[in-house]
Amino acid sequence: MIRRASITLRLTALFATVSTVVLLVLGYLIGSTVEQHFVEQDVEVLEGKLDLTRHALAKVRSEAELVHIPQQLDDSLIGHQGLAVVVVAPGGELLFATSGAEFPAALLTRPVGEEVSRPYVWRTARNTPMRGISARVRTGIDEAAPVVVGVATDISHHEQYMAGFRVTLWSFVAFAALLTGVLGWLAARRGLAPLKAMKQKAESITAQRLHARLAVETVPVELADLAITLNAMLARLEESFRRLSDFSSDLAHEFRTPVSNLMTQTQVTLSRPRSIEEYSEILASNIEEYERLSRMIADMLFLAKADEGQIVPTQARLNLEVLIAELVEFHRLVADEKDVVLTHEGEGVIRGDPLMIRRAISNLLSNAIRHTPPGGRVTVSIRRTEAGYVAIDIVNTGEVIPAGHLPRLFDRFYRADPSRTGEGSHSGLGLAIVKSIVEAHGGSVSVTSRNGMTRFCLQLEGAV
Amino acid sequence: MKILVVEDETKTGTYLKQGLVEAGFVVDLVANGFDGLHLASSESYDLAILDVMLPGIDGWQILQGIRRAGNEMPVLFLTARDQVEDRVKGLELGADDYLVKPFAFSELLARVRTLLRRGTKAKDAELLRAADLELDLLRRRVTRGSKRIDLTAKEFGLLELLLRRQGEVLPRSLIASQVWDMNFDSDTNVVEVAVRRLRAKIDDDFEPKLIRTVRGMGYVLEVPEGA
Repeated sequence: MIRRASITLRLTALFATVSTVVLLVLGYLIGSTVEQHFVEQDVEVLEGKLDLTRHALAKVRSEAELVHIPQQLDDSLIGHQGLAVVVVAPGGELLFATSGAEFPAALLTRPVGEEVSRPYVWRTARNTPMRGISARVRTGIDEAAPVVVGVATDISHHEQYMAGFRVTLWSFVAFAALLTGVLGWLAARRGLAPLKAMKQKAESITAQRLHARLAVETVPVELADLAITLNAMLARLEESFRRLSDFSSDLAHEFRTPVSNLMTQTQVTLSRPRSIEEYSEILASNIEEYERLSRMIADMLFLAKADEGQIVPTQARLNLEVLIAELVEFHRLVADEKDVVLTHEGEGVIRGDPLMIRRAISNLLSNAIRHTPPGGRVTVSIRRTEAGYVAIDIVNTGEVIPAGHLPRLFDRFYRADPSRTGEGSHSGLGLAIVKSIVEAHGGSVSVTSRNGMTRFCLQLEGAV
Repeated sequence: MKILVVEDETKTGTYLKQGLVEAGFVVDLVANGFDGLHLASSESYDLAILDVMLPGIDGWQILQGIRRAGNEMPVLFLTARDQVEDRVKGLELGADDYLVKPFAFSELLARVRTLLRRGTKAKDAELLRAADLELDLLRRRVTRGSKRIDLTAKEFGLLELLLRRQGEVLPRSLIASQVWDMNFDSDTNVVEVAVRRLRAKIDDDFEPKLIRTVRGMGYVLEVPEGA
C-alpha cells in the first residue's frame, strides 16, 4: 500500500523548502556584500599608493633623476606591511620593485591609458593572496613614454576573515532553515487542529450514535462546507438506518401475530379430541393465516428486489384509459358492495410494464375503496402535466389523514391508524409496493389529504 | 393419469403425493435427481413436477435429459427462488410452467389440470351444462331450468370458467387471472364478491346449489352427489 503523505508533513516540507531558498539567497547576498566592501577598502588604499608613486614620478625631470626614484619611493612607502609596488619602464626594464614583489604579467601589460585597471587577485610563490591594480604613469621627462606602475596589497587577513564569516553565515542559514522547518511543522499541526477535532468527532459516530453531528459553527470557514456535506450525509444515513431498523422490528411484529395465532389455535385444538367439522374449520382458518403470511413474503421479496434494483420494467406502450377502465371494472364489484361510487375520466399514454403499472394502480384503488365510508366516492382521473408527464389522481372522500402521517404512508407496514394492524388480508405493504414500482419507472407518487378528500397522485413519464 | 414428482423436501413431497392421489392421479415420488431422471426415462408419465434444487442432478438437468430423449411430456417446475433468470432458463430448457414456493395446493392442481388438458385438445363445446344449468356460448345465453338468467359479461366469463372446469377447485388467483386478466396478487376480495353475485343469480332460487366455496382453497362448480 502506498503511504499517503499527511497534510502536516506536506505543509512542513513546503514551508522548509521555501524558507531555505530565501535564506540561501539572503546568505549569498550578505557574503558578496561583505566581500565587495573589502575589495573597495583595498582599492582605496592601493589608489592612494598609486597617487603617491604618480607624484614622485611626476617630479622626475630627466633620465638621470630616475635613479633616485627607488630611494624616494622606499621612503614614502615605508611602514606599509604587505604592500608591493613595481615601476616598469616602457621597454620592460624594471625601474623599481619593493622587496619580494611578484606581479603577474597580465596585470602589468593590461593598462593602455592612464586609467586605473580593475583590481586583480593572484597568489605569490609563497601562496600569499594579493590584490593589485596598475596604471600607466607619465614621468616629468618630456617626450618620454609613460611607465607602468603596479600596486598590490596582501589580502590574506581579509580572506581569513571571509572564510570564518562564511562558515558562521552558512551555519546560521542552516540552523535557521532547520528551525523554520520545525516551527513550520508546529504551525501546520496547529493550523490543522480543527481537522483533527473533526476526525475525532467523526470517529465517535457509530450506528448507535447516528444522531451526532459535526459542529459547523466552530470549524474554520474552509471546513464548513465539508462539515455541512458530511452532516447531510449523516442525516440521510440516519434516516435510512432508522427506516431499516423500523422495518426489521415491524417485520418481526407482523410475523409474530399470525404465527402466534396459528400456534395457539392449533395447540388448543389438539388439547382434546374434537369432531371432524371442528378440525376442518380450524384447518381452513389456518389456511387463511398462511395465505396472509405467504402474500407478505411474496410482497417483501418484491420490495427487496426493488431495493436491489432488480426490478426492470418492460417498456410497453400503455393506453391508460383502457388500462384504468379494466381496473375500475374489476374493483367496482367491491365498491358497489360498500355503496361507494367509483368513476374514472381522462386519457393518457405512458411507457411501462403493464403488469407492474396495473398492480400499482390496483393497490391504490383497493386502498382508496377500503378507506372510503359507505356513500362516498372514489374518482380516478388522468391528466397531462406541463413537463410531459402523465398524472393519475386517485381521490377518495372520507376522513382526512393527519398531516403527520402523510410522509410515512409509503413506508413498509406503516399504518396511519395503528389499531387497524392485521386487519383482513391487507399486508401493510401495498403502498410501499406502489412506490417501488413507480420509482422503478422513473416516476413519483405523492399524497395529500384535506377538506374530506384524500388524493394519491402518480406521476409517470408520458409517451406519444 | 400418471405423474412423476421429484422433490427432496420430505414433508412437501409426501403432501404433494397425497394431494395428487386424492385428486385422482397416480403418483410416483422420488427424492433425488438420479432416481428422477431414471424413472422419467424408463417409465411413461403424463406429467412431471420437478423441484429445481435437488441433490445429485438438479431439476434443470432432469428436464434436459427428458427433452434429449425426445420426451415431450409437460413439465412443471417448483422453486423457492423467484428470479427472472430462473424463469427464463426454465422456459428456454422447455419447461411448461413454473410455481414459486410457497404456493397454494389448489393453484398447483389447477395448473396440473391445465397442462394435462393442453395435450388432448378438447373440441370447443357450444353448450356447457351442469344439472339444469345451461350456458350457450354462441348466443351468449344462460338458462336454469326454463328460466333465462341475465349475466354481465364478467359474470358470464366466470360461469364459463367454472363450467369448463367442473369439479375442480379454482383458487381466487386463477379466477382473477382468467376472468379479469389480473395476473398479480391483489389484496381485494373482488373474486369473493363476484362469486357471491353469480351465486345469487344462478343458485339462490334453484336447487341443487351448484357453486360451492371450499374454504381456504377456492370455488368449485359441481353437481352434488345424489342430485
